[in-house]
Amino acid sequence: MDFSLTEDQEMFRGQIRKMLDKFGGTQVAREMIADKPESLKKVYSTLAELGCSGINIPEEYDGLDLEALDLVPTFEELGRSLVPGLFMETNALVVPIIKKYGTDEQKKNYLTAIAAGDKQVSFAALEPFNDFSRQGIQCSLAKKDGQYVLNGTKILVPEAELADAFLLVVRTSEDVEDGLSLVLIDAVDELNIERQLSFDEAKHVAKIECNQLVITEEQIIGEVNKGWEQLQEGLLYFNAALSSYMVGAMEHVVHMAAEYAKIREQFGQPIGRFQAVKHSIVDMKVHLEIARSLSYYANWVVDTEENDREAAVYSARTYATEKFIEAASQNIQLHGGIGFTEELDCHLYVKRARYYDQYLGSTPFYQEKVVASLGW
Amino acid sequence: MDFSFTKKEEKFRTELRTWLETNLPEGWLEGKRDLPEDLDEYSAYLRAWQRTLYDGGWAAIAWPKEYGGRDASLMEEIIYHQEMVRVKAPPLINYIGIHMVGPTLIDMGTEEQKEKYLKKILTGEEIWCQGYSEPSAGSDLTALKTRAVKDGDRWLINGQKVWTSFGHVADKCFLLTRTSTVPEKKHRGITVFLIDMDQPGVETLPIIQMDGHKDFNEVYLTDAVATDADIVGQVDSGWHVLIALMLHERTGIGAELFTLEKQFNDTVTLAQQYKVNGQPLIHNPLIRQKMAGFYARVRGSLLNYYRNLTTTVKNGQPGPESSIDKLVVSELNKELSSFAVEIQGHQGLLWDKDAAVDSKWQRLFLASFGQTIGGGTSEVQRNTIGERVLGLPKDMGR
Repeated sequence: MDFSLTEDQEMFRGQIRKMLDKFGGTQVAREMIADKPESLKKVYSTLAELGCSGINIPEEYDGLDLEALDLVPTFEELGRSLVPGLFMETNALVVPIIKKYGTDEQKKNYLTAIAAGDKQVSFAALEPFNDFSRQGIQCSLAKKDGQYVLNGTKILVPEAELADAFLLVVRTSEDVEDGLSLVLIDAVDELNIERQLSFDEAKHVAKIECNQLVITEEQIIGEVNKGWEQLQEGLLYFNAALSSYMVGAMEHVVHMAAEYAKIREQFGQPIGRFQAVKHSIVDMKVHLEIARSLSYYANWVVDTEENDREAAVYSARTYATEKFIEAASQNIQLHGGIGFTEELDCHLYVKRARYYDQYLGSTPFYQEKVVASLGW
Repeated sequence: MDFSFTKKEEKFRTELRTWLETNLPEGWLEGKRDLPEDLDEYSAYLRAWQRTLYDGGWAAIAWPKEYGGRDASLMEEIIYHQEMVRVKAPPLINYIGIHMVGPTLIDMGTEEQKEKYLKKILTGEEIWCQGYSEPSAGSDLTALKTRAVKDGDRWLINGQKVWTSFGHVADKCFLLTRTSTVPEKKHRGITVFLIDMDQPGVETLPIIQMDGHKDFNEVYLTDAVATDADIVGQVDSGWHVLIALMLHERTGIGAELFTLEKQFNDTVTLAQQYKVNGQPLIHNPLIRQKMAGFYARVRGSLLNYYRNLTTTVKNGQPGPESSIDKLVVSELNKELSSFAVEIQGHQGLLWDKDAAVDSKWQRLFLASFGQTIGGGTSEVQRNTIGERVLGLPKDMGR
C-alpha cells in the first residue's frame, strides 16, 4: 500500500508553484477583477509549455497519456493562487467526455488542440430560473429540414470571453428518459455573449444566447438523448479535479490564518497563543487534511472500476466544498478588521468558495448522489 | 498510489483468518459473544484468550522474534487489527502490557527486567496497568504528586492514581512517580517504577462510569514498596521513558478507525431496517444527507490514516500530522453514536434488554464521551496539532 503522490508528481507541483509565484500568486485573479486577462492568458500558455494541458490526453493526440491523479498537483496549485480560467472545464470535463464518447474525428480535432494549449473550452449548463437538474435544461436543439437548430439561454458560463469553444447541455427530446444531448460549439462569434455581474469578480461569468443557431451532427458529442448520463461521467472527473482545486485554496487559507496568528499581537502576545484562536485554526487544518485525503483518493479511483468510484468522488466534492467555505470564512474572522478589507486576499477565497459551492450541483445534490450510488 | 496488499501480506491475512476460525472461543463466530459478568470469571476468560493467542504465536506480532514476537511490519499490524475487528475478537486484557510496557522494556529495560516480565506479558500470566493520572494531574501530567522516597535499599511510594484502566485485574503497574521536586521543569523529577499490585500498600477501588461500566480504578498507594531493580531508565528521567512508550503505541488508532468504519456500516443497516411512519428511515432525505456527510468523514478519516501510515513507512517514524488521527476518530465516534441513538426517536433511551434495536447503540453513545477525554483530551490534541504541525506559539504556563 502506498497512499501518497509520487516524487515526480510532487516535483511537478514545485515547478507550477514557482511559476505561479512569479506571476504574483493571487495577482492573476486580481487583474481579472480589473478586466485584464493578459496574465491569465500567459499562465495558460505557460501551463501548456509545462505539459499540463496534455497530461490526460492520449499520446496519439500529442498528450502525455497520464491519469487524473497526475493533474492533482496542477489543480491544487491553481487553487492555491485562485487562478480563474478554463483549465478545469477543459481538461477535467471536456477531455474525459471526448475521450469516452467522442468520435475519432472529434478526438483528433479537439484533443490535439487542447494538448497543444490552443483550445480552451467553457461549459454552459445552467439556465435562467432553473436549477442544475435534468428538468432544468430547456435550451432546445431541434432537428428541422435535415439540420439541427439551437435556441435558448445559458447563464453563469465561466470565462466566456476566453473560450475557444463551448460545451452545452441541451434538450433534444421531451419524450425519453434522458432527453438531453451534449454539443460543442466552435463558432463562438455567432453566439450572443453578455457579461454577468457576480460578487466573485475574479471569476468572470456570462450569459449566452443562442438564436436559431445551426449545428451540424458532428458537433454532437456521444449519443443523442444520452447527454445527461454522459455528463455525469464527465462530472466525476470534474468534481475530483474541483476537490483538488479547493484543497489547494484551503491550504493557502490555513497558511494565511496560521502565519497571521503568529505575528499579530494583542494583550502583549501573539494571538495564536490563545486557544480560542489556535483551536479554530487547528480545526481548519484537520478539515484540510481530511479533504486532501478524500481528493487524492477521488482522483485515483476515478480512473478505476472500484465499487465506490462515484461515492468517493462526490463525497470528496461535498466535503471539500463545505470545509472550504467554513475555513475561508473563519480566516476573515481570525484576521479581524484587516480581514474585512479589500486589500487582503481573505475575501477572494470566501467569494471563490461561494462560487464553487453551487457550481454544477449543490451540496445536497451531490450528497444524494453519494447515498444513491451506494444503493441506500 | 497503490491500495493493494502484497502477496506476503495477503498470506499473512489468510494465515491469521484461518487461525481465528479454529481458535476463537466456542460459538464466537456464530454470535455467542457475551463476556462473563463476574469479575473473576471475566478476567479468567480473557486471560485464557490471551494464552490462546500466545500459543498460536499471535499475542504480540510486532515484537522482535527473539522476545516471542513475529517482527511484523506496520502493514501486517494493520491487517491484524482489520481481522480482529472483522470477527469482533474478544478484547485483549493485556493490551497495555503487549502494546506499551513490553515494547518499552525491550527498548530500554534491563536484561533482568526483560527476563522477568516479557514472557508473562505474552502469556497473560501478568496483566499490566499504567499509573499516570492523578486527581490533580489530568491533562497536565507533570503536576503528578505521588512520591517515591528512598528508604534504605528500597523505595516507599505514597499517593493516589486515578483512571487506571485494568487496575482491578492487573498484577503489575507501570507507575509514574515524583522523585524530585527541586527542578524548575516539573517533568524532570519523574521516575517510572514497575510495581506489584498485589501488596499491602496498594488498594484499588473501581470507578463507576456514566455507562455503568467499571473499566477504570482509583489506586491508593500507602508505603507501597519497590526496589532499584524496578526502575525503568534512570531516576528522575521517567518523562523520556513515557515518551518512548507512547511512540511504541503505533497502530492503536488504526484499530479504532476500523471499528468506527464497522460502526458506520452498522448505522447504515440500522437506518435501513428502522421504520418511521411505515418507511425505512434511510428514505428520509434529511437522514440521507446526514449519512452522506458521515460517509465522507468516515472514509476521509480512514484515508487520512493511510496517508499518515504511508509517511510512517517511508520515514521510519510517524510525522506530527498523525496526531490528527486521534482527534478525528474520537470526535467522529461521538457524533456517529449520538446520531445512531437520535434516529431511534424516544425509544433511543431504552437500553439493555428493553433496547428498541440493539443495546449496543446506547452503550456506544454513553461510552463515546470517554473517548474525547481519555488518552489526551481533544483540547490537548488541538494544542499539540497547533504547536507541532502549524508552529503556533505554546499557550500560557508552558
